[in-house]
Parts: sequence; structure tokens; C-alpha cells
Amino acid sequence: MKAPLTRSLVWFGVLAAGLLGAPAAAERGTLNDLWNVAFAIVLASAWNLLGGFAGQISLGYSAFVGIGAYTTVLLAMAGWNPWLTLPVAAALAVAFSVIIGLPTFRLRGPYFSIATIGVGEAVRVIASGVEFTGGSSGLRMPSGGFNFISNYYGMAVLALFTVAVVFFIHHDAFGLALDAIRQDIDAAEALGVQSTRYKLLAHAVSAALVGAAGGLFAMNFQYISPGSVFDFRLSLSIVLMPIVGGIATLVGPVLGAVLFSYLQIKLLASPALRDSYLFIYGGLLMAVMLFEPRGMVGLWERLVRLRSRQRPQAAEA
Amino acid sequence: MEKLAGVLLSSLFAAGLYATMSYGLAVIYGVMRIINLAHAGLMMLAAYVTLSLNTWLGLDPFLSLLVVAPLFFGIGVVLDLTIVRRLPRGGNAPSMQSLLLLFGLWLVLQNLAYLVWSGDTQSILTPYTMTSVHLLGESYGVPLLLVFGVSGLSLVGLDLLLRRTFLGKAIRAVTQNRDAARLSGVNADRISAVAFGLGTAFAAIAGTMMSTLYAFTPDFGRSFLLKAFCIIVLGGLGSFTGVAVGALVLALIENVFAAYTPIPTSFQDAISFSLLVLVLVAAPNGLPALFRGFSRKALAR
Amino acid sequence: MKVLRFLAVPALAGLLLAPPAHAQDVVRIGAVLPVTGKESKIGSAYKQATELAVKEANDAGGLTVGGKKLKVQLTLLDDTSDAAKSAQLVEQLITETKVHALTGGYGSQLVQAQSVVPERYGVPYVSAGAGATSIYGRSKWVFGTLSPVEHLARTQMEFLQDLVAGGKLKAPLSIALITEQTEHGNDYAKGVKDYVAAHPGAWSVPLEQKFELYAPDFRPLLGRVQAAKADLFMADAHLEDFITMQRTYTQMGLRNQMITYGARGADEAARKALGAATDYIFASGWWSDLLPYPQVRDFDARYKAATGIAPQWYHAMAYETTRAVLVAIERAGSLEPEKIRAALAALRLEKSIVPGGVLYFTKTGQADLPFVVTQNKPAGKVDLVWPKDAKTGDPIAPIPWK
Repeated sequence: MKAPLTRSLVWFGVLAAGLLGAPAAAERGTLNDLWNVAFAIVLASAWNLLGGFAGQISLGYSAFVGIGAYTTVLLAMAGWNPWLTLPVAAALAVAFSVIIGLPTFRLRGPYFSIATIGVGEAVRVIASGVEFTGGSSGLRMPSGGFNFISNYYGMAVLALFTVAVVFFIHHDAFGLALDAIRQDIDAAEALGVQSTRYKLLAHAVSAALVGAAGGLFAMNFQYISPGSVFDFRLSLSIVLMPIVGGIATLVGPVLGAVLFSYLQIKLLASPALRDSYLFIYGGLLMAVMLFEPRGMVGLWERLVRLRSRQRPQAAEA
Repeated sequence: MEKLAGVLLSSLFAAGLYATMSYGLAVIYGVMRIINLAHAGLMMLAAYVTLSLNTWLGLDPFLSLLVVAPLFFGIGVVLDLTIVRRLPRGGNAPSMQSLLLLFGLWLVLQNLAYLVWSGDTQSILTPYTMTSVHLLGESYGVPLLLVFGVSGLSLVGLDLLLRRTFLGKAIRAVTQNRDAARLSGVNADRISAVAFGLGTAFAAIAGTMMSTLYAFTPDFGRSFLLKAFCIIVLGGLGSFTGVAVGALVLALIENVFAAYTPIPTSFQDAISFSLLVLVLVAAPNGLPALFRGFSRKALAR
Repeated sequence: MKVLRFLAVPALAGLLLAPPAHAQDVVRIGAVLPVTGKESKIGSAYKQATELAVKEANDAGGLTVGGKKLKVQLTLLDDTSDAAKSAQLVEQLITETKVHALTGGYGSQLVQAQSVVPERYGVPYVSAGAGATSIYGRSKWVFGTLSPVEHLARTQMEFLQDLVAGGKLKAPLSIALITEQTEHGNDYAKGVKDYVAAHPGAWSVPLEQKFELYAPDFRPLLGRVQAAKADLFMADAHLEDFITMQRTYTQMGLRNQMITYGARGADEAARKALGAATDYIFASGWWSDLLPYPQVRDFDARYKAATGIAPQWYHAMAYETTRAVLVAIERAGSLEPEKIRAALAALRLEKSIVPGGVLYFTKTGQADLPFVVTQNKPAGKVDLVWPKDAKTGDPIAPIPWK
């Protein structure tokens, strides 16, 4: 469902104001949380490009986070300015996405997803075993030059940029092609949509964004290891956020990202819940699949429809 | 040559375990076109149930199969009726929704295990756990041989069920073509419930057996799950004898690599994952189909 | 649709945390530990031990800092075994709770992630949770009480060399070196290989293999060990892998003259899981309750009385680390970060429960204390066999296979 342009601009403005204005008003602890939210927004929205709009559910996105992070650290160790490493991080992630995409995009549906699990795990194992990536000990950014506020703005800007990019693609013919691929790939092909080309393109764009986020992650935490950036659980949460929020929508991934970040904070605060986070994630996933596959956005739309049925004169989408 | 015999025998025994681990997935996939990611969680849960039976009642793990298998069959049927049934059936194509739903179930099962049994490492020690038998100059642990025995029996049992009983024929019919089966009077929904129960029971059998071989925590099962995928894809999704073939192929590759190449065994997982991707891309219908294709071409000449 | 999007704002606003009040007359100590999650077993043990150390200090009236008696206030947060969260929480403790010193962290990954933060703000940090050398020496603010894992390996080699000198084992000896694919494992392997390189002719390593954590099947790996026909089997593994590997080892009928799994061996869970298959395995560790010092007997009794359990090495090291921080603050006579840091760097904690009896830090900030070696004996007995002046029983070598 495509909302009118003004409405979209309004909520984008709200998001931008919230993220960019926070350093003036909030404490460091809150800014840390917002950084996490921004990071999550980039991952969820970027993933949604391929997973939601194009309908190809990849369970191996942590590979791009890791590639971005390691590129940034290795180049920084060689003397580069960390900010300048970000485009390279994005480029390498894109290259990897093509290498992976070419063989695996021949697969449909769950077969593709399973293949991506395999890819993600293989990358992690190799990164742990190879010397120049520091092996399982990981790598540290060269010390000095850490500036949290810059890191914060970097991630906030990337988050807003990601949302904007996804918005423009969605409203472009590119987005229409992706929708067609998701709904019925054979029909789309019959209509002349070169599905593989579009899948590769969507994969590349989202990989670039996620790779850049990985680089920013390395800059903010200064220490990375295969266990932290190539983790399967990271791949999982990247998938869970847009699904719970509302797959194949613009606002769904953002909602999902905020919800999960909020949950993380609440979980940490309450001892009783801390041991139950798997229940919560698993339960949410099951609830969404069983009752409302379109996630929170779908739930909202259902409520709106119910209301408009009761009051036909106030009906609005 | 003795080394080769040892490698082959080791592969055979490993294949036995791998096959049992994979039947559950194959049955559910074949009948319902659903990829059961909760399989790992069910194996893990069965291992813990076996542990408890062993701790409280002193029941031997292999004997507890008599309790665990029917119990989990029931659990599987209940899961199908309450959860899986609610999903829209995607015709002959496997659905993403079921994949994610069952994945969520896996997470829930993990948390359940943490709460009930804690995250501590557990294992089961029986009088025969450390004993071994000498075959062809090498030693093989008794639990491994017992597991192989159970696997063999399961394969035979499954084969008999599928070929000699009406239920089995119905299952095969639904696997081949759900709608045609229904037109022939088969109650596909009931068969699906039975299939899910069977798949869960096999997962439980695998879990119980693995509890005799490995130490486990609630996280247990993930690498086995990925191996099982590899196997059912190798064997041709939905074919049951194919599973045995796939298991043997994977076990052979792992043992041959370990015995004859210097590649670190830590890359073993990376190898099986690469194999999985390779097979999915190059031979999506599995090796048997590939061979059939080759032999057809050869015959055509 | 609009309202749904606006939900983002209150949600973001809801993340605002209320700033805590700052009392002036307390010593504020912070600690971030994996109380839940993958490392929860030992993480929660660290929590217990840290809290006990603080409680004992407060029960004795608190710390005497610059003439005043101050109570100790511990803020302990759970990072759920997540490295990024761990670092963020440490930052929070420094910037919001305004702690005077930090302890905590368990596991190389978590400690590595945490250790980049103290440098940024100039707050002393002493970890009891990682022996990896790469963590220390980068910042003057970071200290660690776990001695390097390379020296754990070296201690084992010295112990083995002593067995050769005593005639129990015959040189030259070959080693099958099997380590986990982690920093701990890599450091262990390095320690062994460095010793071997320094003593050529007497030692060799014909087989060196790494394995992934929680590997399902060790048969192929142990097949290579069998083919190598080495004299000694030296491995470094987590508890689950130790259990699985040793089971397979026994079932395959492997026999080496001596077996070790690094720091593993005497663990309760392993004894339960492996029974007699753990006999004669020797292990090396940072602490053992078998140390014959009076302060260790005393600590053992106090810990049992307070918590009901017998302390393991992780309880002991966490306890003593916290105590070291508190003593350093007292000796600094001030709550200023630089003074506390200097006191830590110069610290010599006498009558300490650590092996050697004195806790101190080297130039890199990491402690370098003696390790103990224990050996499992039949019927569930464990003996301290090294250092020789602290031993409770004689080592048995080679393993008396039937």
C-alpha cells in the first residue's frame, strides 16, 4: 500500500528529528540505545529490500556486517581514515553479494534461505580460521580518534539514508519489478522482468548499506571478532525485525527495529525476563506467522479496517 | 588398505547416525513440503527427556526409546493439529511461513530447556558408554554400534511401513501428488498429522541416541540440523532411501577428507555447507536424480 | 497509518533513562558480567564471588580512604554474554553511575570488548575473566589477574620436563597438540610450541590441529591423532568438547603416556559424564582449593559458610580480584582515578589466596603468577602435583593403561 507523499515525508521528518536532535537533549546511555536503534533500522530496512519487497528471504546477512566491519578495521590498521573506509566496506559487501547471488538466486523460496544459512556459517568458520583476519581473536581498531558523537551522527545519517533509498526504490519501476518478483516470479518473467538481474541489484544495494553499517559498528566498538559480527543470531535478528514489524512495507522494518531495541533494554532491566528472551523472540515469530503474517503493520491495517467498517463516513486508508 | 577399510567402516557407522537424524526431516518435507527447523529443538528436547528418565528412573537410553518415540509421535501430532494446520497450504511449493513458524518454535523449545534443565552441560553415562569393540583393527565404541543398529532397524521399519501398509501407501501418494491422492480418497489432512508425528518421533529417536554419544546443552542440534539438510538435499528431497544414500555420501566425504587430506577438521562444517550450496545449485533434485539423468543419457546413446 | 508512525516517537522517548543519584560518601565499583546467556554458568559464579568480596569489606566497616571510613557500593550489570552490550554497559557505568573503578568481564571476547572503554575515560579496570595476552599492554588503565594462557601451557611443559628428569617419562617425547579455534586455544598452542622450540631434541610436535567449538564428531580428528602415534596428548577445550572428545578417545582405544585438556580435568561435570575415563588426566589452572596456604583454607571455609558451595577457581579469582581493587583504593588513600591506577600498578597483595601467595601485576597490567597442576586419581580423588612445594600427592606418569 503506497501512502501519499506528504504523509511519508511527515513521518520521515519525525524520525529524522528524533534521531538527529537527540544528542542535544539525551544522556549518553540513551544515545547508546538510539545508536543501537539506528543500527537496527539500517539492517532491517536494507534486508527488507531483498527479503520483503523481492520476497527472497536471506538468513545470512551477518556476512555483510562482518565484511564491512573487517574491511574498516583492516584499512584503519593500514593507516586509512576510518570514515574513508566506509565506501570500500560497502563496495566489498556488494562484491560478495554478487558472488553469492549468482549461484544461489537460481534457487527458489526456502531452498534459497537454506543456502544462505550455509553461506553465513561458512564465512564465519573461515574468518575464524584465517590469519590475516586475526583468527578467532578478532581485531582492534587503532587507538585514538574515537568520537562517539561523530559515530552517532554517522549511524543516524546512514539510517535515514537507508530509509530514503528504500523509499525511492519502492516508488520506482525497480520497486515494481521487485513486487512482481515477490508475487509471482514466473508471471513476472513472462512479462519481461529479468528477475535475476533485479534480485542481484536489490541484493547489492542492501549489501552496500549493511556493509557500511558494519564499518560504523567497528568504529563504535573498536573491537570485532568472528563471534560478534559473523554471528548467526545477528542474521536472525536482522530477519525477525522486519517480519515482526511488517514485511514488505516501508515502516515495518523501522517499527520492528524500535520494538526489538526496546525489548533488549527492557530485558536487561528485568531479571525475570532475561532468561526468557528466546521465548519472546520465538513466540513473537510464531504469533506473527500464525495470526498476522504482515506483522505489526498488518495488525494496524486490520484495526483500521474494522473501525472504518463501523464508521463508513470516516473511512480512510 | 587397512586404513581404507577403517575409513569405510567409520563412514558407515557415522552414516547410520546421520540417516536417523535426517529421516524426520525427510518425512515431513516429503508429505507436507514443510522444512521443519524445529527439528533441532525436538532432537534436543528428546535428549533432555532421555536424560531425565535416566536420572530419575535409571532407565537406559536405548530402552527409553520405547517411551520417548511414542511420546514424541503424540507431541508431533498435537503440534500439527494446533499450529502447523493453521498455515495456508502452499500447494506443492514449500512455504516460507512454515519455515519461519517452526523456527520460532525452535527458539521457544530452547528457552523451555534452559528453564527446566538449566544451561549446564549434560551427558549420560552408562556402564557400556566407554566400552568398545574391535573391528578390522580399529576400536569402535559400543554406543556407536548400538546407534547404528537402531538406525538400521529404523530404515527397515520405515521401508516396511511405506511399502507394506495402507498408511505407507497413502503417505507415498500424498508425497507424490497431494491433490491426486485426495481424489483417490486419501484423507490428506490426517496423513499430514501422521507424517508430522512420524517426523517428530524420528527426531526424538535421533536425539535419544545422540544423548548417548555427545554432551549437550539447549543449543545442541544446530550443526546437526544443517548436516541433515545437506543429506536430504543430497538424497533428493522427499525420497527415503535417498536419505540413506545422502548420509553415506556425506559421512564418506568427511572421513575421507579427514584421513587423506591435511585440511583442518575445523573446516569440516564449512565443507558440508559448501557442499549443501553446491548441491542445491547444481543438482537440486539430489544425487539419485542426477544419476538417473546420467544413466538415461548414457542409455539414449 | 500516521498514528502508527508516531508511535516511534514515544517509543524513542521511552528509552530515556532517569539519571541515578550520586551519594558522596561511598566508593562506587562497577562490574559487567555475563550473568545470563552463553557464559552464564561462570558469569553468575563471578557475580556471586564479587558480591561476597564487597559484602565482607562492608561488614568490616568499609574502606579507610584518606582517613574516612567509606562503604562500598557495587553496581553489577548483566551483558547477557553479548560483546557489544558489554562495552556499552561499561560505558554507562563510567558516564552515568560514575564508578571509581571497574572489575568484571568473563571470557576473552567480552573482556576484549570491555577493555577498549577504560582508556577512553581514564578509569581503572581490573578483570578476572581473561588470560589472553593480546588484551593487556595496550592501556595503562587495564589490569588482569589471570596469568597468560601461554604460561599455563609452559607450566605444564615444565611439569612434564620434571617428570622426565625424575625418570618417570623418557625423552625424547612427541606431542599431539589439539586446540580449540579460539584465542585461548591459540595461546595454549603457542605456549607449548615456544617451549618445544626452546628445548629442541627433547620435544617435538608432529601433529597440531585446531577444532571448532562444540564440534559434533571428533572421530576424524582423533583418527589423525591415532595415526600420528605421539607420546603425549595435549589439548585445550571447553567443557562440552572435553567430554565428547575424551569419550571418543576412550572408545577408539587411544593410549598416550599422558593426557591433558589444558585447564579441564577435575571438573565435577566431567567426572560425572566420563567416570573412570578421567583418571590420570592432568590439568593446569589459575587456582585450586588444594593449595596448602592457611589463607586458602580460611577462604574456603568462609566461602562455604557464606554461599553453601565449595569455591572453584573462578569464584576464587573473581573474589581476589575484587579484593585487590578495594585494597588498592585503600592504599591509594584517594578516589582519584590516577591515584587508584598507580596503586594497582604498584600493588603487592600479601597473604593472597593465589598460587605463590602474592598478587601483583606486571608492566603490561596482566598478572604473571605461578600456575598449579592437578592430576585426577582413581575413585574421584584429585591431587595437586605442582608446584612441588605445594603438592598433596605424587604425579603418576606414564598413565598405567591396562
